[in-house]
Amino acid sequence: MALAELRLLAGEEALLNALPSTEAGQAAKAHLAAAGLPNRRVEAFKWTDVRAALADGIPEADGSAGLIPACLQDALVLDFAAEGFGLEGEKDQGLIIETEDSLELEGGGPLATLAAGFAPRAVVLRVTQSQSRPVVLRRHPGAPMRVRLELEAGSRLTLIDTGLATAGLSTGLLEIDIAEDAELVRYSLQNGGTGAIDLTHTAVTVADRGRYHAIALMFGGKLARAETQVVLAGEGASCLIHGAYLLSGSTHADMTTKVVHAGPNGQTRELFKGAVQDRARGVFQGKILVERAAQKTDARQNHHALMLSEGAEIDAKPELEIYADDVQCAHGNTIGALDDQALFYMRQRGIPEAQAKALLVEAFVTDVFDAIEHEGVRDWFSGLARSWLEASSS
Amino acid sequence: MLNINNLQVEVGGTPIIKGLTLQVPAGEVHAIMGPNGAGKSTLSYALTGRDGYEVVGGTATLNGEDLLALAPEERAAKGLFLSFQYPLEIPGVPTLTFLRTALNAQRKARGEGEISVPDFMKLSRDVAKRLGVTPEMMKRPLNVGFSGGEKKRMEIYQMALLDPRFMILDETDSGLDIDALKVVSEGVNALRGPDKGMLVITHYQRLLDHIKPDRVHVLAGGRIVDSGGPELALALEADGYDRYKDAA
Ligand SMILES: Nc1ncnc2c1ncn2[C@@H]1O[C@H](COP(=O)(O)OP(=O)(O)OP(=O)(O)O)[C@@H](O)[C@H]1O
Ligand SMILES: [Mg+2]
Repeated sequence: MALAELRLLAGEEALLNALPSTEAGQAAKAHLAAAGLPNRRVEAFKWTDVRAALADGIPEADGSAGLIPACLQDALVLDFAAEGFGLEGEKDQGLIIETEDSLELEGGGPLATLAAGFAPRAVVLRVTQSQSRPVVLRRHPGAPMRVRLELEAGSRLTLIDTGLATAGLSTGLLEIDIAEDAELVRYSLQNGGTGAIDLTHTAVTVADRGRYHAIALMFGGKLARAETQVVLAGEGASCLIHGAYLLSGSTHADMTTKVVHAGPNGQTRELFKGAVQDRARGVFQGKILVERAAQKTDARQNHHALMLSEGAEIDAKPELEIYADDVQCAHGNTIGALDDQALFYMRQRGIPEAQAKALLVEAFVTDVFDAIEHEGVRDWFSGLARSWLEASSS
Repeated sequence: MLNINNLQVEVGGTPIIKGLTLQVPAGEVHAIMGPNGAGKSTLSYALTGRDGYEVVGGTATLNGEDLLALAPEERAAKGLFLSFQYPLEIPGVPTLTFLRTALNAQRKARGEGEISVPDFMKLSRDVAKRLGVTPEMMKRPLNVGFSGGEKKRMEIYQMALLDPRFMILDETDSGLDIDALKVVSEGVNALRGPDKGMLVITHYQRLLDHIKPDRVHVLAGGRIVDSGGPELALALEADGYDRYKDAA
């Protein structure tokens, strides 16, 4: 093949020009100029073509950052807006917030590079003692976010992050370091309009007996992808990653996760559920890698999705790669339609078809939310799911 | 009440019900007996509007209203209830949620207001007590992990709670132990009334000992081939269906 200069699409050009002249911005520029945006020819992006979504340039940002629900009124809110970074609410002892202009980025892939490139600086949160007040990271339409979160030994934090743009390109990079016996509980919500491109990358490292516990709810957008990479580095480190995607219209949501068991006695619990209708598309890619040193690993992954319309699409790629010999690993992956017989049974009892479907779908996804420990957030997420079901069945 | 005239039903292009005529007047209970594969369940599915059970000819009306033009839930709201031969499991939907949703949907379709939560709780408890349904069963997802007999009991529990006008019981006795049969039959008998009707599909006289039918019909080869009083069931129990081989 001739060494032709990479031809960039108009959208890629626009992106190049939009990147700031910071170190990370320049690195992202160089990467983009050399490789272009990730697209369907790249294995990891074969179902989520970022280049195609941005072909016509960056959509103009629209929508709001969303209101903080009543159940989180006591939270400390960090706003990531196009104009910059802001703080709202009270900060307790044991939480240190700083900004860092040039934070190095190790690996993470193209979305991490892009998100780091767009962020003017990184916000660094250091948790030195357990926090009872939750922290909310609120991503505004069209804004970049970069957060580095360090939980010191034995500390605990509840983190909520939201991205609710109806249009625009929003990016997020979250680097999380969980020390010995520390625990992060995280709830993520993404809800985008058909003009929203939402790209986030989360990289987590968990030390001995540390715990990463994350539940995400995505409604998709023009293109939404949430990448999570967890390295269970220490002994007895664990993670629970749950996700639900509810998609209608022509939305697209992608949940891509990779969990690396590097230390022994680790535990992973993954549960993903999706319901996709109209011409929407759901993507699940989940990899669990168990390294040779990670003896006695106990890892389970489940992904189950419902296709509610003929034109809907669900693409799933579960992967287990195991190099240790004394491990317990299991995974399950199903994609199906609603049970016709159950539907008829419910209708025979007088429940209209649309309502019967909504009940069945709600029952199907609800166990994803069972792992939400914060009662208010659980009601919030379940309520959002129910509204979606009601809206899509009427 | 229920008026079926020359009904023809195909399943997957195969004719199963081949010109069936049957009348159940208000206040009566009719039994349908017949060999395996005769089309008894097919008839009950066609009457309740299950997809795939294609009515290609004939009519079926309930109190003069055309059933066949209605969606399954509309038929239910008109008071048509089927106790399934094989009740479905509905994972993730608690029994009480399911029933309250069903009851309110029917009431809404009939232009009535929703039942209040306390009223519903009282109703469901009263009915449960009568039918030997435990509070523990009502909390579980509908039918999930229930034994065959428990599922049948739940069908009649649902029936009693929804208080339908016309009831089709498809082999409700199968799977029930002797004591349960008695309890369930009592529950069914309590739902009889001058403005109600019932079609009881069964293979065995022992159910008809408890739920006494006004008429007994033999369904074979997709048609009613014989009808008579309660004594017909006794004769069938003694002689089997051999003599209907040619009629079918
Ligand atoms: N989906 C289907 N496709 C093809 N044939 C079917 C289908 N469903 C039912 N049938 C056939 O229709 C006939 C009638 O079945 P049906 O279940 O109505 O019998 P039944 O009288 O209820 O029998 P049983 O006493 O065993 O319950 C059977 O021969 C059955 O195999
Ligand atoms: Mg049958």
